[in-house]
Amino acid sequence: MLQDGRHAAIDTATDIDTPERTRFSCRLAGPAQRAFAYLIDGLVRGAILVGLFAVASGAGLMGQTASGLGQGIALLALFVVDWCYYVACELFMNGQSFGKRALGLRVVCNNGLPIGLRESVLRNLLRAVDFLPLWNVLGGLTMCLDGQFRRLGDLVAGTFVVVEGSEAILPPIALSPAPTLEELRALPARVAFSAEELDAIDHLMRRKQALSRPREQELASLLAPRLAQRWNLTYTDPVRFLALLHHRATHPLAT
Amino acid sequence: MKTRDEFVAEREPRWRELEQLLAASVAQGEATRRIAALYRALSADVMQVRSLGFGADLRRRLDALASRAHNCLYRAPEREGSFAFREMLRDFPRLVRQHWGFVAVATLLFWLPFALGLAGALFRPGFAEHVLPPETLEAMNTWYAKSEVRPDGGDSAMAGFYVYNNVGIAFRCFATGILFGAGSIFFLVFNGITLGTSFGWVIANGHGRNILTYCCGHSPFELTAIVISGAAGLQIGFALLDTGGLSRRSSLLRAGRSALVLVVGAGVFLLVAAGFEAFWSAAPVPDPVKWVVAGLNTLFVLAYLALGGRSRERRA
Repeated sequence: MLQDGRHAAIDTATDIDTPERTRFSCRLAGPAQRAFAYLIDGLVRGAILVGLFAVASGAGLMGQTASGLGQGIALLALFVVDWCYYVACELFMNGQSFGKRALGLRVVCNNGLPIGLRESVLRNLLRAVDFLPLWNVLGGLTMCLDGQFRRLGDLVAGTFVVVEGSEAILPPIALSPAPTLEELRALPARVAFSAEELDAIDHLMRRKQALSRPREQELASLLAPRLAQRWNLTYTDPVRFLALLHHRATHPLAT
Repeated sequence: MKTRDEFVAEREPRWRELEQLLAASVAQGEATRRIAALYRALSADVMQVRSLGFGADLRRRLDALASRAHNCLYRAPEREGSFAFREMLRDFPRLVRQHWGFVAVATLLFWLPFALGLAGALFRPGFAEHVLPPETLEAMNTWYAKSEVRPDGGDSAMAGFYVYNNVGIAFRCFATGILFGAGSIFFLVFNGITLGTSFGWVIANGHGRNILTYCCGHSPFELTAIVISGAAGLQIGFALLDTGGLSRRSSLLRAGRSALVLVVGAGVFLLVAAGFEAFWSAAPVPDPVKWVVAGLNTLFVLAYLALGGRSRERRA
């Protein structure tokens, strides 16, 4: 996931530059998440229709004897739920529909700003073509081909869908058992890692609880031999070895 | 230099505070100021984490937080009033004139098949049966045989149907234009030929007076709207072919802006048409009155499209 300017990371994220002259990356919602949100929205839309019909028939507007008023309202409701549901949701819930809210997704403009009425109307009108030939096949294909998972509606409106949800960060590193004097003496006084190496070890240490012992060993063995060779060290347990090196790197000896 | 854990311990309370403020539904006054301050501090943290390589998980967390705060603090440009009714009223006829080429092509794509269908059904026996299923033809015949055409379901039911059906067709006619115009062309030609054939068939069966007095009131709005929504679709389809030096994506974005105004305007026209069709077209009014109203409607549509929004153009 490291980026060094020359090589963009292969990732489902996109960078946004802000007026504060900072840059943050947004995680983009992929086809699967969006399909799931779409299903939830489908249920909500169905529920709205059923509710409206229930109210209308309760008020005596539906059925054989009633005038056409009930039918008229039903067809209008069908139109509104078909074409206006998403626009109304995205407008009043700042780029979210009920399905998107349930999955922590949000529609934003491609500069990271909230979407307005124009964008919302455009991207939702284009649902008609994204749906073709049936079951959103065209929209899904476009999404898979586009680097930012945009369907045709998103391309025309200049929007994309991001994943919001706050991410938990991994727990602090605790070296246990505490390093013994012999172990510390064996280490070089200073160890200099590249940012990538430090990042990799850091991540491995923090994921201790999530990994089985053999898998941890396996992962550690990918890096440990290279580092051992660099400083002419020997080790028995690659995980412990990396942990000690990490400890030394983050707690350098006072000089 | 701080270690990651020290850094996190120091900044964590501020991140949590920002998270809580963002979770509250609407930020106002003091809360907005606090969010802004926390967001600026967070921006610095984001850059620090990025440059020091403090781990992908931490970076993702701060990115997500920054994204939400940014989204909360900044508005999209021209959000307020950009889509206001008055502006739509001005821009719609202006854009119809500006993109007259697309409107002309859409007009031909609709009216040529219409004329073909009309002529075919009038002068060639068996033509209508090739175009439309026999049940539809039979239904139309009985429908327009009555001198006073009254829809079965009552006026309100028909209004609902016209909105659902006609506006839906116009929106699809626009949206499918993105397939290099193919969808719009299909909808225009298809509707042109079926409508033309229907008219021809009913007239050939001797109910011409009924169908014409029924349709004359709402047609100026309805048929103009279908043509304009088709023109909007052709516009975005053409933007993919002739990008004017932009990338296809940017060209599409640019075309989308004006096409949107066209299609929304067409939608409004269709709502007006649905109102006329449901509550006026079948009303028991003498024919001359209907023809006068039809003439006024036609005049209104033409005048609005030709003259609407002129004063602003001159200034711009």
